[in-house]
Amino acid sequence: MKKGYLKEGNYFWSGDIAAAEGAIAAGCRFYAGYPITPSSEIAERMALRLPQLGGKFIEMEDEIGSIAAIIGASWTGERAMTATSGPGVSLMNENLGLAVMTEAPIVVVNAMRGAPSTGLPTLIGQGDLMQAHYGSQGSYELVTLYPSTIQETFDLMLHAFNFAEKYRVPVMYLIDGLLAHMYESIYVPPIEEIEKKIVHRKRPKEGQLPYEPDEDLVPPMPLIGEGRNIHATGLTHDERGYPDLTPQAQEKLVRRLNEKILKHERDIWIVEEYMTEDAETIVVSFGGEARAVKAGVDLARKEGIKAGMLRLITIWPFPWEYIKKYTADFVVAELNYGQMYHKVKEYAETPVHKLTKMGGEIHTPQEVLKKLREVSQ
Amino acid sequence: MSIFEDMRNKQEELLRTERLPHVWCPGCGIGIVLNAFLRAVIRRKIDPEKLVVVSGIGCTGRTAGYVNVDSFHTTHGRAIPFATGIKFARPDLNVVVFSGDGDLFAIGGNHFVNAARRNHDLLIIAVNNFTYGMTGGQHGPTTPTGAYTTTTPYGNPDRPFNIPHLAISLGVPFVARWTTYHVNQLQNSIYKALGMKGFRLVEIISQCPTVYGRRNSMKSPLSMMEYFQKNSIIKPNASFEEMELTYNGKIVVGEFRVRTNIPTYEERFDDVIRRAQNEN
Amino acid sequence: MTQKKYERKAVVKILEDRCKGCWYCVNYCPTKVLVISDKMNAKGYHPPEFREDKEHVCIACHLCELYCPDFAIFVEELK
Repeated sequence: MKKGYLKEGNYFWSGDIAAAEGAIAAGCRFYAGYPITPSSEIAERMALRLPQLGGKFIEMEDEIGSIAAIIGASWTGERAMTATSGPGVSLMNENLGLAVMTEAPIVVVNAMRGAPSTGLPTLIGQGDLMQAHYGSQGSYELVTLYPSTIQETFDLMLHAFNFAEKYRVPVMYLIDGLLAHMYESIYVPPIEEIEKKIVHRKRPKEGQLPYEPDEDLVPPMPLIGEGRNIHATGLTHDERGYPDLTPQAQEKLVRRLNEKILKHERDIWIVEEYMTEDAETIVVSFGGEARAVKAGVDLARKEGIKAGMLRLITIWPFPWEYIKKYTADFVVAELNYGQMYHKVKEYAETPVHKLTKMGGEIHTPQEVLKKLREVSQ
Repeated sequence: MSIFEDMRNKQEELLRTERLPHVWCPGCGIGIVLNAFLRAVIRRKIDPEKLVVVSGIGCTGRTAGYVNVDSFHTTHGRAIPFATGIKFARPDLNVVVFSGDGDLFAIGGNHFVNAARRNHDLLIIAVNNFTYGMTGGQHGPTTPTGAYTTTTPYGNPDRPFNIPHLAISLGVPFVARWTTYHVNQLQNSIYKALGMKGFRLVEIISQCPTVYGRRNSMKSPLSMMEYFQKNSIIKPNASFEEMELTYNGKIVVGEFRVRTNIPTYEERFDDVIRRAQNEN
Repeated sequence: MTQKKYERKAVVKILEDRCKGCWYCVNYCPTKVLVISDKMNAKGYHPPEFREDKEHVCIACHLCELYCPDFAIFVEELK
């Protein structure tokens, strides 16, 4: 076994530790970050573990610097990551746009807490779902994943890095105050097995321009130090990477940046369908909250209510097909005033109900049950 | 071929000549600084494949678009942390941040002080033209007190940064200041800095005739150059007060601090890796 | 006072389309071999013109090259 690698086996970890270890298993060797509750333990774990593997860890002066550093590192070929919480994402959103525009693969973890502002730093929130997609400038698509258990927090990191590299796009990796600090027992397979599943970014063919896309709309990525004289800019640019400040160039580039993700949305969608086949009411949920929802659905089934759960693991691009395919009523359970409710409503042809809580705690299974009783009457 | 002609040819190779003429106004000093920088790079025999230029936003931020090496035009103020990521990931590369005073010291001020404190192995070429040129000549963190800009129509009540002194206070191993009039000294200082390690700062007082000079009775490119010529004093051991820039006052220039063997962040992190791996 | 004679060492080449007419080269040329020309380039600027005579010869100091912000001028030394 290579130096610094984990042994296969069971570990008792928090979500923060699982996110860090999952990233390392997925090939991440560069981390820049700034501490913020409830994500700080990710930085602590990375500070401990990355040097053991010869990787790089740096604590920057703020979140703006952190994301700038990982974009720089990404251009050298690193699988690079940062972690923060909602207020930190606000600071990162400026350069998230740069990562989108220059098509730099990065992973940004957001351990969501109660918000707005400093809100409830140590407690769960799910108010950054829209921020994850729409926080930066302009029209763009990115990938947002959101696990629901500590095991999944570890496992899904491989997908996060693979999507980032495959589509040259930033990936927002949502966890929440509950997952971040909760400990569960998880199984770590042999790291070599995980490494076999690593997807590497495409490399340009001889003579291929730095922003010349292949048929999949993704341009292979040149790296710093290869003598390719890369030029990358946040300005609207042509396929050489040179600024081209015309409506035509804007139309071409921004369309492609959106379509390179939407074209592959079925590859990116990960959704858990729990007892939905015969369901008359489906609760849409995600993250820490979904754990209670599942229990609530089970309680409802015991009462003969035909309930099911759709757990969105991919939040963005929104897995709309999973909404469209059911004719059941929907309940959207989320810890905010109602965000994904609107997305579900956009695609559902049946009634959609809100089950919201402003954050700080998840719904109890009884609260979910109560809502299901109401809706199914 | 004379060494000058050889240099000239190599300089053309280091430029994205298909993008010339560049965006800078007639008489803008940024081109003079870029000219000096490229000559210093050639004299140092730096492999262009190992050279990375990172710029922020603004007039000087456009520099990255003209150098024919791996070059990045990043976001406003963020050139230093972006460059930090590149250097930290690939310590074998020569990473140069080429940006303006507003970018580096106002919006990017926090990054500047912290990267300087950590002593990252970066060369910072800071072009100081006393103003925000790209946005139309607003006052910035280096505008002298009393100067007229579009946002200080009654004279600047604000106080400018004393950039070399700021850098010295942060332990920066190489701190120099020249004006665009000092083409040879400037080139030599960049040449010297390229041969050193750690965080190196070269501040260049540069002319912006279009939006700064025009409002401060130096309308033509040459009148700004004349100001630099007549008012510059070379004084390497200058005091804090002497390094301060005042409205139409003296400009103290020189190499204010030259220190070798201060370990860089990248070197200190190598020790971290060694310690972490021995404990395994 | 007799004018010091300089040896003719080089000629100055001008890439007219890169020039923006700042006149640093004209101003800083120690032997005054550059003058503002009447012609206009594509961008509407008057580039300098290289003019030699008995008293004005290029001594290959290359100062015009160093002062040019537009990479528009270079000195070709005589073999």
